Amino acid sequence: MKKIQFHLNGKKETVHCPPAKTLLEVLREDMGLTGSKECCGKGECGSCSVLIGDEAICSCLILVGQVENESIVTVEGIGLQDNMDVVQEAFIKEGATQCGYCTPGIIVAAKSFLKDIEHVPTVEEIKTALGGNLCRCTGYQKIITAIQSAARNKFALSGEA
Amino acid sequence: MSIGEKANTHKEYSNERNQWIGKRIARIDGPEKVTGELKYMTDENYSNMVWGKVLRAEYPHAKIKNIETEKAESLPGVICVLTYKDIPGFNGFGIVTPDQPVLCEDVVRCTADAVALVAAETSEIADEAINLIHVDYEPLKVVTDAEYAMTGEAPYLHPDGNIHSHVKINNGDVDQAFKHADYIFENTYYSPRQMHAFIETEGGWGLVEEDGTLKIQCPGQYAYRDRLQISRTLGINPERIHVISSPNGGGFGGKDEITVQIYLALLALHTEGRPVKIHLTREESVQAGMKRHPFKVQVKTAANKDGVITANQVRAVADTGAFASLGPAVISLAVEHACGPYKIPNVDIEGFCVYTNNGIAGAFRGFGVNQVCVGIETHIDMIAEQINMDPIEIRKKNVYHQGEKSSVGHIVKSSVGTHETLEKAQNCELWTNQNIYKSQPSEPWKKRGVAVSTSFHAVGMGLDKPDYGAASIELLHDGRLKVAVGPEEIGTGNGTVYAQVCAELLHCDMADISVVQGDTSETLDSGTISASRSTYTGSRAIATTAPLMIELLTGTASEMLNIPAKDIDVEDCNVIHKKDHSILLSFTELYDYLSINKTSTKVNSQFYLPKEKEAIKGSGGAPHHIYGYQTNVVMVEVDTLTGETDVLRVVSIPDCGRVMNLQGLEGQTEGGAIMGIGYTLYEDVIIEEGYHKTSNLGDYIIPTIRETPEIETIPVEAPEPSNPFGAKGIGEVVMIPIIPAIMSAIYDATGARVKHLPATPERIFNAMKSTTSSVPMSSR
Ligand code: FES
Ligand code: FES
Repeated sequence: MKKIQFHLNGKKETVHCPPAKTLLEVLREDMGLTGSKECCGKGECGSCSVLIGDEAICSCLILVGQVENESIVTVEGIGLQDNMDVVQEAFIKEGATQCGYCTPGIIVAAKSFLKDIEHVPTVEEIKTALGGNLCRCTGYQKIITAIQSAARNKFALSGEA
Repeated sequence: MSIGEKANTHKEYSNERNQWIGKRIARIDGPEKVTGELKYMTDENYSNMVWGKVLRAEYPHAKIKNIETEKAESLPGVICVLTYKDIPGFNGFGIVTPDQPVLCEDVVRCTADAVALVAAETSEIADEAINLIHVDYEPLKVVTDAEYAMTGEAPYLHPDGNIHSHVKINNGDVDQAFKHADYIFENTYYSPRQMHAFIETEGGWGLVEEDGTLKIQCPGQYAYRDRLQISRTLGINPERIHVISSPNGGGFGGKDEITVQIYLALLALHTEGRPVKIHLTREESVQAGMKRHPFKVQVKTAANKDGVITANQVRAVADTGAFASLGPAVISLAVEHACGPYKIPNVDIEGFCVYTNNGIAGAFRGFGVNQVCVGIETHIDMIAEQINMDPIEIRKKNVYHQGEKSSVGHIVKSSVGTHETLEKAQNCELWTNQNIYKSQPSEPWKKRGVAVSTSFHAVGMGLDKPDYGAASIELLHDGRLKVAVGPEEIGTGNGTVYAQVCAELLHCDMADISVVQGDTSETLDSGTISASRSTYTGSRAIATTAPLMIELLTGTASEMLNIPAKDIDVEDCNVIHKKDHSILLSFTELYDYLSINKTSTKVNSQFYLPKEKEAIKGSGGAPHHIYGYQTNVVMVEVDTLTGETDVLRVVSIPDCGRVMNLQGLEGQTEGGAIMGIGYTLYEDVIIEEGYHKTSNLGDYIIPTIRETPEIETIPVEAPEPSNPFGAKGIGEVVMIPIIPAIMSAIYDATGARVKHLPATPERIFNAMKSTTSSVPMSSR
């Protein structure tokens, strides 16, 4: 057992657990944040994606010992039902979620991608950015539309474009 | 007209005046899904939980000589180790034939077989205990090929032999037709062992509650049938079991059969009231989960110079793996659909569902039609090319219309939109401008092709199975309404449709409706979420129930206010006066009155889905009454140096009857298109000598966002007379015609026909090199 500290969704947290436990397990089991899902456990699907710093990372591949003092944001930290992010709103409006099991990971990846860009992304840019997230239900088209519409709304809100 | 027929004919409901039905409506479960707040059952957690694990067979086919569990049992932290000896009731399950042991006793028939179960304090201890169980095996000869399994040489995997079922449909005289045909095409097609690859692997919870009720929370596709199968194994009354089967992180048919429910139930009996969790790793899911049946399909098609198809002969062999599950129903549906939505006068179709030691195959979106549509659609294209006819015109010439006889010989009375879907295809931008697109490949060594295909898929169960729909509507204390319908939310958005229908018929906002699905203590038995049936069934069941709720509400208000019920209506969760729309009472006031008077605030009703009257003997359930139809136009680009193929554009033209929710429909056509692309180009679970070579999503490639083409949906609405809103179903046909369309588009681009799917770069490359592409044989 080791004491490990990190920032999670803006709050300082301390956990006592084996340092070899994956970050995903710690989030789901110790922190009760089950938005991040395990689907492959091998870095193949992206359904466990969380933001570490600004980057979307597969939390099934990260050991909790590696995130000492890091700042982590999960889907729950991006927005909950009463304070949803523009990305989440766009996903609902455009129908970009079906069974929804992949959705949190995709929201995290989309959020991280949109942070870095200053324009409405092209389809090709979105395809490159989201290439690591599998979805079996939607066929991805509505995910692409949702991300473009989120970008448009984001700029509309901030008056950038 | 008989009573039954009358009950199945509704006045056409006008969608124009609707507030909710037929509109583009966002999903009701969207907010909880995009925020991660929805707790799927595999997300639940209990502080006093224990972990369950399953020991799977080490060999694909072996005798069990001995099972030693003592070491595992004495490991600290182990709560119980169970084997076949611990099964109180019947040691078997399976939807059609319960031929799969819950825990194997004397023989294992595939590496999915379960031999023992463990419950332990932690997942690690449970894993260790699994390793400590020693099973003594005597390996037996492995049956790896379905055709071999059917010969006398192969060892019997089940007492009655390896052919589980043999179904046939004969119509007309194929021999005569072949004798007189102008052209005959004959080919053999092979299809892949596709994996559902739902993102949520199989898992859930078992718990014996304080009152003795056994509670199983496990994603599934038919709570009542899961409950029945659990009850048989436990030897207890189903009433004592509470199954919650919704929501699912994806199903596609792969959770139609029992997954881990019975293991959870058995373990829960030994954990002294502590909840037990099983959640399969992806590796275990790949090894133990259902797959799509790989088929070998031999097809011989005859046509005349004018493009009329005169005969079709099909022999389909399905590898169901070690157990039947829904295999017999899959092969029946394959046989029923093997000639496409056409009126071929002479057909001879037979199908075999065959046991091997290749894992297990079962239900999967499309249910056998994916495998057989390829033969007829490819042959139609070959005929069209031979006689120099447009591929859409030849299809239009051969399709049946409503009221005409299908290839299997029955008059199709339900709605048929095929012809219109083909017309839409003919006029779509991709088809009309195909030559321009084809002349613009992205690189000089790449070639583009455009092709069309059409297919169909039955809605609801066949003639040999009962098919009921049911719904209940309850007035809640806060004046809102709760609608409960059996078919689970597996991702399709059926729950949103149920809320739309309920809000429409009870004249309120969708936000005033809460929806419950898949829960034996909340929903009535209304059948499966499968067979493209849940929109049809749920919408009709709610439409039969809503008038009862209106009667209850207006009747109660009439009693309270002494106004005739006929002058009263409901609107926005109030009862109003019909004349001036003035509010008379709120639903909360009605609720209070009813509960003081100890009157139930819940109403419910059932209906029986329409069926054909006459079965086709020997077909195993054909014909169905209702079908959904779809035509696809696709454009591909093939790299002639490597064989790599991209699908660049897809036009999906579905006929699902009246569209209930345009966004939901597009969700199906787009998701179906991508799943069809995966099936055609990439996906195949490799099993060699009975062992899975595929292990996870790293070596099983499903399409990613990078492979997503531009997908356009152009709905055709041929209203179904037996549904109050004109709805049919669409969940399966959306992934069917795209398969032969891609295959023909590859041919259009390169001149190469791949007949063995998936059409991997290697197979396409070899087909391009080979000169043995099919040439028409002279029949005389
Ligand atoms: S679960 Fe982490 S990438 Fe799949
Ligand atoms: S919505 Fe089901 S996997 Fe993406």
